[in-house]
Amino acid sequence: MANDPLQQIYDVIVVGSGATGGWAAKRLSEAGLKVALLEAGRTVTPREFTEHMPVFQLKYRGRDPEIAKTRPIQQQCYACMEYNYEWFVNDLENPYSTPTDRPFTWQRLRVLGGRSLVWGRHSYRLSDVDFKAASRDGFDVDWPISYADLAPYYDIVERYVGISGAAEKNPMLPDGQFLPPMKMSCGEVRLRDSMQKKFGRTLTMGRVAILTQPHNGRAPCHYCGPCERGCFTFSYFSSPFTTVKDAVKTGNCTLITDAIVSHVDMDTASNKASGVTFVTRATKETKQVRGKAVVLCAQALESTRILLNSSTREYPKGLGNSSGMLGHHLMDHVVGGGASGTFEDLQGKPSASPPHRPTGIYAVRFRNTPATGKYPHFIRGYGYQGSSMPSFDFGAPGIGATYKRAVKQGTYDVSLGAFGESLARFDNFCEIDPYLKDAWGIPALRISMAHGANEKAMMQDAAVSAAEMLEAAGAKNIRITTGTEMPGMAIHEVGTARMGTDPKKSVLNPFSQSHDVSNVVVADGSCFVSSACQNPTLTMMALAVRACDHLAERFRRNEV
Amino acid sequence: MEGFDRVVPHQEGQSRSSTSLLNRRELIRAALFASVATVLGPTFSVAQAVSSGLTAAARGEDGSAVLSDPNWKPAFLNEHQNATLIMVSDVIIPATETPGAKAALVNRYLDLLLSVQPAGFQQRFSGALAFIDDESQKEFKSDFVQLTPENQVWLLNQWAFARENSRWTERDDRHGEPGDPGQRNFQLLKTLIATGYYESEMGQKELGWDGEMTHGPYLGCEHATGTHT
Repeated sequence: MANDPLQQIYDVIVVGSGATGGWAAKRLSEAGLKVALLEAGRTVTPREFTEHMPVFQLKYRGRDPEIAKTRPIQQQCYACMEYNYEWFVNDLENPYSTPTDRPFTWQRLRVLGGRSLVWGRHSYRLSDVDFKAASRDGFDVDWPISYADLAPYYDIVERYVGISGAAEKNPMLPDGQFLPPMKMSCGEVRLRDSMQKKFGRTLTMGRVAILTQPHNGRAPCHYCGPCERGCFTFSYFSSPFTTVKDAVKTGNCTLITDAIVSHVDMDTASNKASGVTFVTRATKETKQVRGKAVVLCAQALESTRILLNSSTREYPKGLGNSSGMLGHHLMDHVVGGGASGTFEDLQGKPSASPPHRPTGIYAVRFRNTPATGKYPHFIRGYGYQGSSMPSFDFGAPGIGATYKRAVKQGTYDVSLGAFGESLARFDNFCEIDPYLKDAWGIPALRISMAHGANEKAMMQDAAVSAAEMLEAAGAKNIRITTGTEMPGMAIHEVGTARMGTDPKKSVLNPFSQSHDVSNVVVADGSCFVSSACQNPTLTMMALAVRACDHLAERFRRNEV
Repeated sequence: MEGFDRVVPHQEGQSRSSTSLLNRRELIRAALFASVATVLGPTFSVAQAVSSGLTAAARGEDGSAVLSDPNWKPAFLNEHQNATLIMVSDVIIPATETPGAKAALVNRYLDLLLSVQPAGFQQRFSGALAFIDDESQKEFKSDFVQLTPENQVWLLNQWAFARENSRWTERDDRHGEPGDPGQRNFQLLKTLIATGYYESEMGQKELGWDGEMTHGPYLGCEHATGTHT
């Protein structure tokens, strides 16, 4: 290359190209800063999308034994399948350890765009009930920011991304900048009206990062269904075809793929980061790229792993870890509680042909709210995702023509599954495993997390409450699930480098900047103080934009 | 939302939670010593296509051709098992106004699937087929493949109506199986046969699949407000 990208000194090095890294690269490069965007995986093109490929063209129809061999952990993710499993990390190359009695499933992608290629797309704002939860119930600490601080950044992100959804005027789930919502089925309308009338609870169409009208040069959803296999019209939000594309288009952003960052390099004399060291994926060479600031967007656990692996004489417990908080307060929404049933009196014909609506409904949190007061059995709360649709009755009794007819006749199903807040606890943490290394020789994580009594009580209540609401709406054949899935199953992991105003009690300041090393910013989900119960990606993106705008401002004032 | 494009839920034998926690941990530890095949080329590729690291599906390969190979030979089933499976599948899902399991080559797909399953599951499947023959011998002194169509239907029908709630729509799969061995063996076969049929091209067409990627937006409930309250 005429201009070796490693010989330059960048203004900012952004590590990770997913939902937050894409925003960091876009925001900083559009502010005129020279950015190097490092991605551990390869690039991705629409030619490899498989959203329209029928299941029978897969050799094993989704049950390729290769997945279990190379991705025994990743296959626990519903989106990791025979169509696309190469996007997910090879577990044999990317190990981590857990205590035997504290299993944790870490589901992740190493490819341009990261998990934004396969994410669930639900996009919700947090409210001050979440940001100031500790003031209400006395558990742990408040966030150092409030809803008013973040609201303008939610606006920016929503306007660009395109969130379809309905305004509900429910203070637990602030309204935003919405495209028209997708449509509810008859069963969902019935459940919504019943929940409102009999319980005073809000059921809304899922607010999702999927377009329902043309938006910023992207076409609306064509309702083929499986977004997690890609979208040739880019109708759901993924970073490679939006934020990263914008960043590269400025001419200020150099995208470097296949670069696995091992640690941040420090200039001890100035107490500033001087760049990052990475290992090339194919050839395993160690290289460095230099910059005036480093923004980590590698995903909560991965960014913290990089900081823990960046220890120096000055920071023996991990870079920016004078507080001792780095790695602690790991959270992931608790899932497992819910209920399902059937509406026997509703008509509807299932079909294997589109339209397939690629999302569901969302029930807004109703426990421990200012309106409902303190709930005696647990603190915080949960929301539900769900759906009600006609579906094929593969479980129909009988054989022969009777069975074939019954399968097509179908049942009108309805279900609600809870996502509950995971409390931030010091003893849920990650650290560097002293023995384990990944395929590139980079020390791996040991993750130790378990859901506690509060999360378990929440899932019990979520199961019973869901069954009550389904029953009140006229559903039959109701079944409940009260279990608590292992941490990681929600794929909403946040925390491990919490933000705060006190450098003794937090890793990052309220702008996600390291208290200890002023030119290191962690702009992914690491900074979360509490998990709330809403899907976190929208909030991560808003926080990333806020952090990067602040960093750009510091560059303008020559403070970096 | 989970897997709504997957027409048949993942069932026993393909359970996604079948790897025990202990095994998972051992796998993670084993990675310490794993040799790694790296697959990728350019190190500084600025938005440049890379041809490796793709699934067969992402490469656009149609994996179904292997089933219609004129020289097809079973990889797991013996000749008698194969003949029995074809018969059982065609009694459970016969040709009606639409094709049945035999025409959809359900036996061939299940043979492929079984050939890569753990030994324990292979044994369960073989046991279920043998159970059908055992019962057939007890009742008619003859193997299932030799029964008249009427007797084949009679034999299978006795297990085809659940005496407990159906497990199919249950989201929590830890509730166990039917206690009755006849129902247990029959349900295993029926589940696999239905999966093999409804995920085939013929089965997808049976369910209304027409090969089109879109039919416009999802319209949802179009009834007047209050219709469903």
